[in-house]
Amino acid sequence: MENELKQLIIDTLDLEDISVSDIDSDAPLFNDGLGLDSIDALELGLAIRKKYDVKIDADKDDVVKIFSSVATLAEYIQAARG
Amino acid sequence: MSLDFIVRDWNAWAPGISSRDDWRNRLVRQTFVQSEKASIPARVPKALQRRLSPLGRAVFNAADGCFDSDKSLPIVFSTAHGETNKSLEMLKAMQRGEEVSPTAFSLSVHNAIAGLFSIAYADHQEITVIAPAQDGIAPAFIEALGLLQEQHSEVLMVLYDEPLADFYPSLPFALNAPVTCALAMRVSLSGQGLPLRFSRSSERRDDGEHALQILAFLKFLVADGKALALGNHRHSWEWHKI
Repeated sequence: MENELKQLIIDTLDLEDISVSDIDSDAPLFNDGLGLDSIDALELGLAIRKKYDVKIDADKDDVVKIFSSVATLAEYIQAARG
Repeated sequence: MSLDFIVRDWNAWAPGISSRDDWRNRLVRQTFVQSEKASIPARVPKALQRRLSPLGRAVFNAADGCFDSDKSLPIVFSTAHGETNKSLEMLKAMQRGEEVSPTAFSLSVHNAIAGLFSIAYADHQEITVIAPAQDGIAPAFIEALGLLQEQHSEVLMVLYDEPLADFYPSLPFALNAPVTCALAMRVSLSGQGLPLRFSRSSERRDDGEHALQILAFLKFLVADGKALALGNHRHSWEWHKI
């Protein structure tokens, strides 16, 4: 799941020079880590909804926590899918 | 009324053209290499590079060649169509029932390339993006010369357009250049460079829209001719080398 998510992040966000092994599951996705920004978060949210049919709702969910790393994102998707 | 100014430096990008001699030759022969994409200037941070469309690359490439990144300048961008082709792709996606990409949307707006430029070069001066509709390149000069009159010592002008998708009717308009083209010029009221006089003309002309006028202006810059007149049915303007 984590590797699949990493590939989804790379493909969705056009991170041409980065491979799955370059992304640390526990490293921050935004700012210091991969250096993603708020537009990337929206784009990733859309890709996750398409691929896993899981909706991340900015009003209800703790978006900052969910998107903090690949590990937390995978955990959230798995829990949401049941 | 006329306004004098100086083109301190200029740089332009179109597929397959890299020098001023190239411009002189190509504009006479009107041949271009269609497929080439502009390179991304080394000064653009990695994280922003993936956001640059082919048109954005052309703009950055042209501007980078006459812009000192240590010195923030006010910038006047001018484009008739901007990223219209991107908007069309999104509309088609919506028609297919797909969701629109937030990134594609954010990069399709008229000032998207200008926004990326201000981030990439940390330029916090005032930046304008003109949408001149059918009025060609003159509104960009009016805006830039206005900024110079307001005591800015130099202004960067960047005129750009790419061919529109076939979806849009070309007739009865004259709006499409044969290739993507971006022209960047640093203008001022004093200093070394090419002195020009800009004035209104009462002549009624039909030189086509913005994209075609950029190429006409480039030809004027590299050729020996002393004067250029451009208009598109409504207003006409003249540029004289002085």
